[in-house]
Amino acid sequence: MSKPKAKEKFSFKKSLANGDVTAMVMLIPAVLMLAVVSIYPFLWMFRYLMYDYNGMTSYFSGTYNFTRMLEDKIFWESVGHTFEYAALKLVFIIPLSLIMAELMVQKIKGSGIFRVIYFMPTIISTAISALVFSFIFAAYNGVLNAVLRATGIIDQNVNWLGDKNVAMWAVIIVAIWGGFGNYMIYFMSGLSGISKDVYESAMVDGASGLTTFFRITLPMLSPMLKVILMLAITGAFKDYESIMVLTQGGPDDRTQVMFLYIYQLIFGTATTTPQIGYACVLSLVAALIVGIVTAVYLLIAKKLDDVV
Amino acid sequence: MKKSSGEVMSTGTRISRALLFLFMLIIAVLTLYPVLYVVFGSFKQNAELLVGGTNLLPKVWSIQNFIDAWNGADFGVYTINSVLLAVGVMVLSLFNSSMAGYVFARKEFPFKKLLYGLFVAFMFINVGSVSLRPLFELAISLNMNTSLISVIIISAGGAQATYIFLVNGYMRTIPKELDEAATIDGCTFFQIYYKIILPVLRPIMATVALLSFRGGWNEYILPLVFTMTQAEKRPLTVGVTMLKNAGDGAAAWNIMFAGATISIIPILLIYIFSSKHFIEGLTGGAVKG
Repeated sequence: MSKPKAKEKFSFKKSLANGDVTAMVMLIPAVLMLAVVSIYPFLWMFRYLMYDYNGMTSYFSGTYNFTRMLEDKIFWESVGHTFEYAALKLVFIIPLSLIMAELMVQKIKGSGIFRVIYFMPTIISTAISALVFSFIFAAYNGVLNAVLRATGIIDQNVNWLGDKNVAMWAVIIVAIWGGFGNYMIYFMSGLSGISKDVYESAMVDGASGLTTFFRITLPMLSPMLKVILMLAITGAFKDYESIMVLTQGGPDDRTQVMFLYIYQLIFGTATTTPQIGYACVLSLVAALIVGIVTAVYLLIAKKLDDVV
Repeated sequence: MKKSSGEVMSTGTRISRALLFLFMLIIAVLTLYPVLYVVFGSFKQNAELLVGGTNLLPKVWSIQNFIDAWNGADFGVYTINSVLLAVGVMVLSLFNSSMAGYVFARKEFPFKKLLYGLFVAFMFINVGSVSLRPLFELAISLNMNTSLISVIIISAGGAQATYIFLVNGYMRTIPKELDEAATIDGCTFFQIYYKIILPVLRPIMATVALLSFRGGWNEYILPLVFTMTQAEKRPLTVGVTMLKNAGDGAAAWNIMFAGATISIIPILLIYIFSSKHFIEGLTGGAVKG
């Protein structure tokens, strides 16, 4: 480790004088919080993998938690729902936020105000916006059904959060509403990094707007796009807060995602007691699933790089 | 071809620009609608809310919902708790991220890379809700489960990496000569931080303040777990969503509308006056950091 010159000059002084001790003391809060809030819970999870633990008493249950997982239909369904949720969310939110970002950097009149509006949902608590949407989606007096009936699109109320066929879509709509402004800002920061000269020369060559977008913007954005996509994928797999408020995983576990199911096992629900050891096993598997998805994504992104 | 200024725009360009504007307007209306719906709805009478309909504005404006929520449903207490939680998280985050960011940027020490790597790794290693259980049990064994302080520490700790990276990134733009000059003038390491670096960090501190305040104000599952058995410690997010599952859900629509509005308005006002900092913090912290 190379020491800075100023430090060598004063090397006869003790570390107390050159601030090394002070520096370590200043790091204490950050290190302490990292250890307690991040590292300790991670290690704790391994402690109960082979135990049956309800929050009060625990006893060794061997491999039961693992065999139970293999046969747990709700868990594997929730894994499927997580993939479904993440895929549907990304398919809509990524193109939408990219288009909005592209429009924002065009400096069309009013884009400053539009940007403030689009980003606004991200500053509101996920729980509160989910609650607001549960009013909007309400089957009998919700405003969505009222509007759809007034315009003649439906003639019978849709039970958005209670009907197995549509509940996932309701959840996705809330996710898109709450998140697209976030990714729009990421894309805008990527787009602003692309040099103006490239666009000007494309214009001189007579390239149309769409050609410019696909031939220049997208390829030049690709390093940034990769980072944004990774954030979006890992983020979507971890979402469960708004689903918890909207449907609590229902109806009939139709919107049950991995991390919500795990939450209900850890803290119990109105009708079940906590099953913490089992939840630890599922958490580990869920974390592995997210890890594998991320790794696969990185691999594909790299392969695409070689092709393009 | 000249750059497209107003005069040289062709009719085609003008039409496509108008269509784009219309598209942006529609998305803006859809984005704004839920917020306007709940804010205006909170001034409706419960009878009107329960009937529903397409009206955005109340037929009769009434502030009764807010009075009921404040007096009858403990929303005064919830609001105070939300403020304490948000301010606590903000103060702790400012204090912590400025110090850690400064040390990381200016000091070489053993295992620095490892420590930095751990911060990065635990931004991504996320075992989700399971981590709340050991923290909850830890708080119980330390007798801290009845105070909002544990919620503040956990909330600030969970988000600290982003803020430290933001400060660290900003530190790189501050010339080291500034520190060196101060050292020659006899400043100690801490005095340099306190007297010289901290004032220079002000813009990034504003960003950290806003992001962390929002983080604390909007925290939901964490305080939900910690206040499961103590209604008097609940912040707004928990208090208002609790009503939804309280059984007589329909009867409390007006209270929930008022509660949601009380939760949204302060953070919305802060956002409207400082949207630039919010947006800069996002791009600086997550993508570049």
